[in-house]
Amino acid sequence: MAINAHPTLPEFDYLRPETLIEASDFLVRHAPDARPFLGGTDVFVRMRDGLLTPKFLVDVKRLPGMNDLHFDPLSGLIIGAAVNMNRVIASQEVQEHYPMLAEACRSVASYPLRNRATIVGNICNASPAGDTLGASLAFEGVLHIHGSDGMRRESLVNFFLGPGKTRLKAGDIAVALHLPPPPAGSKGTYLKLGRNKLSDLSIVGVTALAHPDSAAPSGYRFRLVLASVAPVPFVANEAEDYLANTPITSDSIRAAARLAAEACAPIDDVRGSVRYRKQMVKNLSTRALSEVWEKLKK
Amino acid sequence: MAFHKIYLTVNGKDEQVVVPSNMTLMCMVRESLALTGTKNGCSAGECGACTVLINGEPVNSCMVLAAECDGAEIVTVEGLASDQQLDPIQEAMIEAGAVQCGFCTPGVLISSRALLDRNPNPSEDEIREALVGNLCRCTGYVRIMDSVKAAARR
Amino acid sequence: MVNPDRLRAPSPVGENKPRIDGREKVTGAAIFADDLQFGNALLYARIKRSPHPHALIKRLDISKARALPGVKAVVTGEDFLGYIGLYLQDRYIFCRDRVRYVGDPVAGVAATSEEIAHQALDLIEVEYEVLEPVLEPEYGASAQAPLLHPDLGKYGVANFIFPEAGTNLSNHFKIRKGDVDGTWEKCAAVIERRYWIPHIQHVPIEPHVAIAKMDEAGEITLWASSQSPFAQRSLIAQAMGISPSKMRVIAPFVGGGFGGKAGVSMEALAVAIASKVKGRPVKLLLTREEEFYTAFVRQGLVAYFKMGCDEKGRLLAMENKFYWDGGAYTEYGVNITRAAGYSSSGPYEVPNIKTDSYCVYTNHPVGGPMRGFGMPEMHAGLEQCIDELVQQIGMDGVEFRKINCLKTGSTLVTGSKMHPTGLLECIEKTAKAIGWGKKAPASAPNKRRGKGLALMWKAPAMPPNAGSSAWVELVEDGTLNLGVGGQDIGQGAFTVAAQMAAAALGVPYESVRIATPVDTRYSPYEWQTVASRLTWSMGNAIVNAAQDARRQILSTVAEAWEESPEDLDIVNGVVISFKSEKEIPLKNLVIYGLPKPDGQGWRGGPVVGRGNFMPTYVTGLDTETGQGERAVVHYTTGAQAVELEVDLETGRIEILKGVSAFDVGKAINPDLVKAQMEGGFVQGMSSALFENLQLQDGVVQNPSFVDYRIATTTDAPKDLQSFIVEVAQDDGPWGARGIGEHCMVPTIPAIANAIYDAIGIRFEGPPFTAEKVYLAMLDAGIVE
Repeated sequence: MAINAHPTLPEFDYLRPETLIEASDFLVRHAPDARPFLGGTDVFVRMRDGLLTPKFLVDVKRLPGMNDLHFDPLSGLIIGAAVNMNRVIASQEVQEHYPMLAEACRSVASYPLRNRATIVGNICNASPAGDTLGASLAFEGVLHIHGSDGMRRESLVNFFLGPGKTRLKAGDIAVALHLPPPPAGSKGTYLKLGRNKLSDLSIVGVTALAHPDSAAPSGYRFRLVLASVAPVPFVANEAEDYLANTPITSDSIRAAARLAAEACAPIDDVRGSVRYRKQMVKNLSTRALSEVWEKLKK
Repeated sequence: MAFHKIYLTVNGKDEQVVVPSNMTLMCMVRESLALTGTKNGCSAGECGACTVLINGEPVNSCMVLAAECDGAEIVTVEGLASDQQLDPIQEAMIEAGAVQCGFCTPGVLISSRALLDRNPNPSEDEIREALVGNLCRCTGYVRIMDSVKAAARR
Repeated sequence: MVNPDRLRAPSPVGENKPRIDGREKVTGAAIFADDLQFGNALLYARIKRSPHPHALIKRLDISKARALPGVKAVVTGEDFLGYIGLYLQDRYIFCRDRVRYVGDPVAGVAATSEEIAHQALDLIEVEYEVLEPVLEPEYGASAQAPLLHPDLGKYGVANFIFPEAGTNLSNHFKIRKGDVDGTWEKCAAVIERRYWIPHIQHVPIEPHVAIAKMDEAGEITLWASSQSPFAQRSLIAQAMGISPSKMRVIAPFVGGGFGGKAGVSMEALAVAIASKVKGRPVKLLLTREEEFYTAFVRQGLVAYFKMGCDEKGRLLAMENKFYWDGGAYTEYGVNITRAAGYSSSGPYEVPNIKTDSYCVYTNHPVGGPMRGFGMPEMHAGLEQCIDELVQQIGMDGVEFRKINCLKTGSTLVTGSKMHPTGLLECIEKTAKAIGWGKKAPASAPNKRRGKGLALMWKAPAMPPNAGSSAWVELVEDGTLNLGVGGQDIGQGAFTVAAQMAAAALGVPYESVRIATPVDTRYSPYEWQTVASRLTWSMGNAIVNAAQDARRQILSTVAEAWEESPEDLDIVNGVVISFKSEKEIPLKNLVIYGLPKPDGQGWRGGPVVGRGNFMPTYVTGLDTETGQGERAVVHYTTGAQAVELEVDLETGRIEILKGVSAFDVGKAINPDLVKAQMEGGFVQGMSSALFENLQLQDGVVQNPSFVDYRIATTTDAPKDLQSFIVEVAQDDGPWGARGIGEHCMVPTIPAIANAIYDAIGIRFEGPPFTAEKVYLAMLDAGIVE
């Protein structure tokens, strides 16, 4: 937030190509001066601050597939890139099959902002604080991307390279997020700690998801993903492995949370200190895992 | 910089406006259409003073390009009352004493109107959540929430 | 025949009349300064600002910026020699030789669009020689610190402010009362503490905005979001070297001020730039980022308290040292230093007291007036020390305060006597409503619950001759135009002004129209809309003006009816005679008068009433002892209490219940008074839990809503109670005194005391963020 932030938006050209090929083509030809945008809530703010200086903003919201939101029991959920978070929250199918995703969306900003914010946009912005990134990772999300060489799929697992950095390259347009059907009996929760009671960025965000799995020694497989404690969304592998291999009790949950707290790498910043964040990872992971465990037991 | 001719409906009236690419909906409404009820509090999507309805949904208009709104239906605070008759939420805010400096008021009214449209009988927690993006520095929010409850009862 | 119902019409004073500007505001019709339309002549200004907290300007080249097509003017400090400042003239409009805080204006651009003006800023070349900054007030007060204002001894200064040339101390206020040093040994309990109250900011939802235009003759018009049109005229005109009558300030609705739009901050920049593009209006609208970086801040405070009481809990002595982090310019902040000094006992009777209140220059943003004017910062520490003393002596916090609190006739820290006050009643009402003494169980095993209470007092801090004036003009239809110079910044000043005018004249509230926008060309003089002074001071002027109009009306009618004015009255817009039972509506006479009998002419004529009010009894204070007969006009006192829970998992504080009680003398509009108490409580709570303008190396680290957190709907407590206590002010209209600031003053210590009650921990200062609370609990072994 610069002292000489632009009063509104700096100059650029807005365009809205009709097809994905046209769009990718334009983006490649004008790289690095062209950028796709969806809700704009991250892009516009960074443009005001001079952090992004695109000469062209390419509106991809009305391209084919961008507004799809449908669920199929065999293939799972498709969330078009332009589907705003309120639509996701309101979707019966999301509420039934991926409730944790709806929970994560609900924690973002405010209702009006969620009318613009998108999950795919959240993912492509790649802020480690992104609230929907944890759920997207835990549900094994895959991005459908259209680039200069056509459509491809990218698992989210290695998608995030650093704060604001992803595997997207010039010409790429993320078209949809695909979440496969969650394993039977999956239960999850998203806990977010902000400074205000609601509507803040996360100081720490905890995504916990689990399902019964006879292949795991403990009988359950847990996913634990943390926001705002590393340069990218942090998958707490040690904690996950521990819970796969250790009988689930309140003690082992606490131990897993401790593992997650030790493994993560937050920094001191204006929102919180390393020490506090690690404590909160411990406490909130304990709480999230306990909540999920209670849901699983029912 | 490119310019775009857009056609849209604002407060029930058809408009045609030429806008530069970088003009936000907030600036278009305030400058091109002289509807200054919508306010500029931060230009960053944080304070909610610029909230308007786009196709019935509340949005921070400082975070929307005017050029994106071709074909859209916009409602601003000036469009809430009809023919001198105030919207119930406007009346309720006056009666509850929920207006002080009045700068957050247009955004609050739009967010409240949108809430009541999608949830005619909201609980207190639902009201709080729906208005969390509308910052107010004067009232402490209590009367704002009371007025939404009162308007719901009408 | 006089309709008896008319005689029973209730006076609008004391009624919950709906806001006079409510409909305008809910329809979006209310015009704020950025809404004013100026057409194609309008130019847009942007400011080039210092990136360094302290530096000399070695080279400044504006030639490339000037050459950018669309740029109409580029100005620098070279163009403007005049100093500006309310109590101390220590500031140039644009920096001339050095910059003293990050954001200090170095150059200004006017261009045909905001975009061009913004681009021009990058073309302005500035070379700085970075100097060592002063970033801490105690250091700034020491001999080791570099001198930030070498010309301090030469600045124009009000005669009640005492800068020390050759230092960074722009004011030093002293209280020396009784024998503090010799009293400590008599104390059964002594508390000594240091508090650091960080900078916060007003954060009005409407940013600062000013549009200025200079005409060919050199006369200036300034439109601004302003609490102080007359003060802005006076100070800016003086700095520009013109007479006040050659400048006109027009002040539309204000979207929140809280003090930040008082005095002069960015308005002078617009005027200065406009002076170089004669004939064209120039608008300067601060971005939200500029608000956080460059607008007035509430100055930080390092405060040392020492206080002691006897075994019966009577306060015996206090020793205070306040180091105010005044910032780069302390033209306004010097009076905060003083006000805190003469209030440094808190609302208590303390026979021995020694205070040193220092205003220190630092290379931080400019400290200015913020709601409470030093009182929230001071009470934040003082009321916590009282609680600690209470604990040490083994008494109850409410009992202790009831013993020591000011009552009618109490001797004050300045040696004068306390006027009638309902502070005791405020304490009792607050304690009862919060359920003092009753411990409620926590709502869950991972929560701890606590209650806390704090008192406050505050006087309007202003020069001894701050005045108000008003005029009342009757219209042909019998309604009233009321001219005032005070501003409605959301508090409801226009509404209560109308109520008072209506009551004083005898017309319905609905008949009164306020002549807005306030315009120094037509509106009557008002010192400033600050200090919670309008209801009292402007109210008195309004009453005087209405009574003047009333005299004219009754004199005309009495003559016409051959009766005595004493037998006449105006009720609900009708002149009635109790004697003859004749009546005549105002509209029949207030412009054209009344005909004489037999076609002999007319009597009366257009009725215009005028009135003013200025306190005449404010004496000075001794420069060495701070003692004087009557340093201030009056005090508003009050209390707040809080019940809260601490979350042991996160450190989060949730305020369950907030209670406020303030003695306002007379609530002209009780609903508006309560609305102030609610808003003040939440703003106080916000400053207690969230707010901190984080400064590092002189740079604001959180200059946006993203990281400067304020309370949102979800943070507002579910249970807020507000009690009005009315012990009349002898010279207030209907006994009224102010409330606007006071309701934010005791909130920080009330919350701090409640946190202590919950978890037994105190902090160096606010905000009591979840992190601060949690880590303290961790260190104390309360959680692990």
